[in-house]
Amino acid sequence: MVRFKNRYVLCEVVSEDPQCRQCIEDRAVGLAVRDAIGRVHGDFGLACCSISFTVKYLNAYTGTVLLRCRKDSYRLLCSALPFVRQLESRNQRYPCFLNTLHVGGTIRTCQKFLIEYNRRQLLMLLQNCTNEEERRCVQKSLLSCSLTEEQYLSGNEDDDDDGTETD
Amino acid sequence: MRNQPASVTLPAEPGPFPGGGSRACPSAGDVLSEHQYQQQKFLNQSSGPSYRKDQYFPKGQNRGERGRGRGGWQGGRQSISEEMPRYITVSTFAQARAAEISAMLKAVSQKSSNSLVFQTLPRHMRRRAMSHNIKRLPRRLQEIAKKEAEKAVHQKKEQSKTKCRKARRRHMNLVAEFNRRQRKNIWLETHIWHAKRFHMVKKWGYCLGNSPTEKCYRACYRAMTKHCLLQDLSYYCCLELTGKENELLKQLAQLCSIDTGLTFGEACCLSGRFEGSVNLYRADRYPEDMLGPVTFIWKPRDGSENRQLWIWVHPALKQDILGELKAIFQCSEPEEICIPEPVTTSVQEEKQMDVVLSLGRKRKEEDKEGEKAVPVKKIIGDGTRDPFQSYTWISQTTGVAISDKSMEILRYRLIGPLSHSVLTETLKAASLQTVRKSTELNSWWVENCKDSEKVSLHQCQSAIFELLEGISSPSELPPGTILGLTVGDPRVNMPKKKTKAVPDFEKYQDNDKVRQLYLEGVPVDCAHSFIWDQDICKNVTENKISEQDLNHMRAQLLVPGSHLDLGPCESKIPILLVQQPGKMAGEDRPGWGSGWDIYLPKGWGMAFWIPFIYRGVRVGGLQEALKHSEYQRTPHTPNDFPDCQAGMQFAKELETSLLEKFKRRPPAKRPNYVKLGTLSPFIIPWGQLTKNWERRMKASGEFVHPSSPHPEHCATEGHSFCDPEAEVMKEASPETDETMARSDFIVLRSEKLLMQLSAWCYPTAGKDRRIRLVSRLGQKEMTEDVFLPILMSYPRALVWVNLSLLRKGNPELHAMICIPTEDDLLHLSKDKLFCGPQEPKHRDIFKHKIQKLKEEKKKKKKDNTKALEGDPPSVPEQETTEEHEDLILGLWSDALPDVTSHCSRTLLGYVTRGDFSLAAGCGEALGFVSLTGLVYMLHKQPADKKGLVLLRTPASLQYRFARLTIEV
Repeated sequence: MVRFKNRYVLCEVVSEDPQCRQCIEDRAVGLAVRDAIGRVHGDFGLACCSISFTVKYLNAYTGTVLLRCRKDSYRLLCSALPFVRQLESRNQRYPCFLNTLHVGGTIRTCQKFLIEYNRRQLLMLLQNCTNEEERRCVQKSLLSCSLTEEQYLSGNEDDDDDGTETD
Repeated sequence: MRNQPASVTLPAEPGPFPGGGSRACPSAGDVLSEHQYQQQKFLNQSSGPSYRKDQYFPKGQNRGERGRGRGGWQGGRQSISEEMPRYITVSTFAQARAAEISAMLKAVSQKSSNSLVFQTLPRHMRRRAMSHNIKRLPRRLQEIAKKEAEKAVHQKKEQSKTKCRKARRRHMNLVAEFNRRQRKNIWLETHIWHAKRFHMVKKWGYCLGNSPTEKCYRACYRAMTKHCLLQDLSYYCCLELTGKENELLKQLAQLCSIDTGLTFGEACCLSGRFEGSVNLYRADRYPEDMLGPVTFIWKPRDGSENRQLWIWVHPALKQDILGELKAIFQCSEPEEICIPEPVTTSVQEEKQMDVVLSLGRKRKEEDKEGEKAVPVKKIIGDGTRDPFQSYTWISQTTGVAISDKSMEILRYRLIGPLSHSVLTETLKAASLQTVRKSTELNSWWVENCKDSEKVSLHQCQSAIFELLEGISSPSELPPGTILGLTVGDPRVNMPKKKTKAVPDFEKYQDNDKVRQLYLEGVPVDCAHSFIWDQDICKNVTENKISEQDLNHMRAQLLVPGSHLDLGPCESKIPILLVQQPGKMAGEDRPGWGSGWDIYLPKGWGMAFWIPFIYRGVRVGGLQEALKHSEYQRTPHTPNDFPDCQAGMQFAKELETSLLEKFKRRPPAKRPNYVKLGTLSPFIIPWGQLTKNWERRMKASGEFVHPSSPHPEHCATEGHSFCDPEAEVMKEASPETDETMARSDFIVLRSEKLLMQLSAWCYPTAGKDRRIRLVSRLGQKEMTEDVFLPILMSYPRALVWVNLSLLRKGNPELHAMICIPTEDDLLHLSKDKLFCGPQEPKHRDIFKHKIQKLKEEKKKKKKDNTKALEGDPPSVPEQETTEEHEDLILGLWSDALPDVTSHCSRTLLGYVTRGDFSLAAGCGEALGFVSLTGLVYMLHKQPADKKGLVLLRTPASLQYRFARLTIEV
C-alpha cells in the first residue's frame, strides 16, 4: 500500500501562568507553531511544514499537544518548536514553551507513549508524596485509570455489539 | 479514523472551579457518571481551604525535586487574577493524567480502521492462512478475531464438490448433473450453446438467453435489416386442440371478437394456408379481461372430420389461456392419476436419491457384479414436467381434446431479408426412398414414398422451397404463409467454414415461376407437413443419428473432408416454415423485420442450429426480440399488455427491480422524483389515469364546450388545486384499487375505432393530407356527435400509440406523455429550434416528514443505548420504525393525487418502451394514452398541429415535442 508518511510530534505546553491553559486550543497552538516556523525557517520552511500540518489532539488540562506533519519536513518542525514563546488567544498572551516528548510515525505509537509517560508521572508523584492525604489521592487516581481500562474493555464490547445491530 | 479521543479544551467561560481538572475527558464516559464525578470533585475541593493550604508547601517541594519545570501551572505568584486559584492540588493533577491515560487506553486498545485484525499486524508477523485459522494469530488478537469470524459475511461456504473435476466432466456424470440442474427451470435444446455466449436469465420457468455477451446492439440491428437474425423461440408453448371443426369454432368464437381483427374462423387461416394471430379475451367478456395475444395454425384438411389446431402462446400467458380453454370446452382430466402432491414429490426424491446412489456406487458395482449401470439419458423436451401429471384433457361432451405440447415442437425464428436464403442453403428437401434399410429408421418415409400422390406433393413442396431463393425478401410473400416440407439431415451438408448465405438473383431472373409465386403465394396443398403427426415426430426424434456416430462416419471417409453421403440412412425430418410478415402497419419501412419461423420436432434442435450458424446468421436473445418488436412498433408480450394478468405481473416485477436499483444508489445521487413532479416512476398507474380522465370528463360539461382549458388552470394554481383532490383520492383509493385492479381499464383494440382515431391524429400539413386520408379511409370528420358516443362506450380505455420526437430527446421507460398548452404550440411555430418547455420544480412535501422521522429514530436510538445499561430496549420504538420503513426520500409515499393535473402540462399517458431508434434515426417511443384524453386533445388542437404532444422522462424537467400517431 502506498500512503503519505507522517510524523507525529507529541509535546507538552509548559507555562508559568495557570491561566495559560485557557489558550490551549487547536487554533492557538497551530498559529503559534506556524509563527515560530516562519520566524526560524522562513517562507520555504513554513510552506514545507504546513503540508498536512494539523493539531491532531490536545488536552488543556494536561497540556498535551499532538502535532502532525509530513515525514520530509518534521526536522524543520522539531527544530522550530523551541522557539514557540507564547500562546495567544482571545486577545490575551501568555508566555509558555513547548516541550517535545516524543516523535512517532503513527498516532497509535504516540498514544502508547503518552500512556506510559503519564503513568510514570503518576508513579513519580506517588513516590514523592509527603503526607498521607496526598498519597491517597494519587493512589486513587492511579487505580482509577487502571480500573477504567477494564471498564472500557467491557464498554467496547457493548459498543461493538451496537454497531453490528444497527448495521 | 474511528474511536479517537477528542481534544479537550477548557470551557469558554471559566466555571466555578476553573482550576479543577475535573472535566478532563468528556468523551471518557457518559454524562451521568461525569456529573457524579464532578460532584465528587466539588465535595473534594470544598472540603476546606485549610486542606489546600496544608498541601501548598510540600507540593512546592515536590516540584522542585522533580525538576521537570512542571511548576508552571501552579507557580503563579504575583499576577494571578482573583478567580483563579493560586495553586493546584495534587489530586486534580493526578486525575487529569488518569483521565488522559484512560482515554488513550481506549483509543489504543480499540481497532481504529475497518480492516480485519490480521491486516493490522505488521508484515513480519503475518502467517499463512491467518484469516482461516484464528490460532495462527498472536494470542492477544485471538479474541477479536473470533468475534470477526462469527460475523456472517466472513463465514465460508460449504464445499459441495465432492468429486474431482475429471469425474465431474465424465459424460455420464455431466448429463446427470445437467438433468439435475434443469429440474427447476426448463432448458432449451440450445441451452448449452447459449449459456456459453449469452447472459442467461431465468424467466417464466425457462432458462433463456437475454442478450449476447459480445457487443451486439448495432450488429443485431444490422443483421435484422440486412442479413438474418436467428432466435430460439422454443420456449413458446404450443396448445393443441383436436376436434370437429364447427365444435371448435363455436367455442373459440367466445374468446375473440371480430372487432379486433381476425378470428379463428378466418377462411384463409381455416384452410391451413396461413398463420393467424388473434387477441384472446375471457369467454364473452370482450373488451374486458384480456387473456393475451396468440398465434394459431390450423392443420390443412385431410379428409377426416377432426381438425387439429395449434395455438402458440407466450409462457407467461399459458396458464391463463389453458385454464380458459379447459373451461370453455368443459374438458375433464381423464388421464390424471390421483396422487396427492406431497407423495409424488417424495417419490421423485426417492428416485433422485436412487440415481445419486447408483452414480456413486457405479464403479464398485461394476467391479463386483459386472453389471452395467443404467446410462443416464439426456432430457429432451420438458424436464420439469411431473411424470404423473397429465397434459391431455378430453371433453366428454364434444370430444374435443386439448393437449399441452410445450417443448414438444421447437421453433426458431429467422428475421431479416436474407432469411430465406439461409433456409434454402441449409435445408435440402429429402430424397425419395423406396427401399427400407432398417426396421425403424425412416419407415414412415418409405411408406409415404409408395403413395404417388404424396410423392407429387413432396415434389411440389420442394420445388416451391427452391423457388424461395429467387425472392428478394420474405415480406414479398403474403403474410403468414405456411410451407410444409420434409428435409434431409442438415448436418450432412455443412460448409467447412462459416460463410454468409447470399441469394443468387441472376439464376432466377425472368423466371415465370417466381413471378407466379409472388402473385399467388404458396398453394394450399403445400401447407401440409408430417410434423402434425405425433407418431412420425416421435419416430424422427428417437431415430436421430447421434453426433458421435456422424463424426465417426466422417472420419472413415476415404477423402477426408469430402461430402458425406448417408444414402438411405439419412434421416428425413418433417418441418414447417411459416412466414412472419414484419412491419405491416404504418407508412415507413413496410415489411421491415420480416422473416421465417421454422418448426421442428424435438430432439433436432442443435442439429439445425449449428448449420444455421454456419450460414452466417447472428443470434439474438430476449433483448433483441424486444428491439425487433420496438422497431416494428408492435406491442411485445407481456410488456405491453397492461390489461392482462401476465402484463400486470410483469409490471410488478419491473417495479420491484427498479426500486431495488434506485435504493442501491447513495441517497444523494438519487433523483428526487417528488421534486421532479413524477408521481410513480417505477410503475404506471393506468387505472388511476383512466379514472382521472373519466372524472374530468364527467365533472364538467367542459368536454362539450371547452371554455376553460384545464391545463392552464392547473398550471396557475399548482398544488393548491390538486391537494383537495388528493384527499378525495385517499378516501376512495385504498380498498377499491386492489379489487378494481382487473376491470379498471381496457385497452382499445377495435380496428374500426383505431382507424378512426389514426385518421384524426394526422395533421393537415400543407397538402391537406388528412382530408385525403380521411376520405380514402372513408372516415368521418371529427365532430362532437361522432366522438361522444365513443367516449360514452369506452370511458376508461387506453390506446396504443407511437411517438417520434421532432427534435432532440431520447425517451425512456415510463416517460410521461403530456398535452402541450397553446403557448407551447405558439412558441414552436414561431421558433423552429424550440426544444420544449420546462416543468417548474415542485416542492418536496415529504421531506419534513422524513427528516422528523430520522430525528426521532436518532433520539430513540440514543435513548435505547442509554436504556441498555438499565432497562431492556423499549418495544414501541421498534413498531414506529417498522411503520415508516417505506418512506423513502424522493418517492411519493402517499396515495397518488390526480395524476393528470399534477404537473403543469396535463398528463395523457405513459411510455412503455422508448429508445433512440436506429431504424428511424430519432428518438421513438411506444406507449398508451387515455382515449378520453386523446380525443379531448385532438378536439382542441388546431388542424395543422394535430397529434403534437410533449414527452418528459421521469428524471428530468424538460419537455420535448413529439408527434403522436396510431398505426393500424
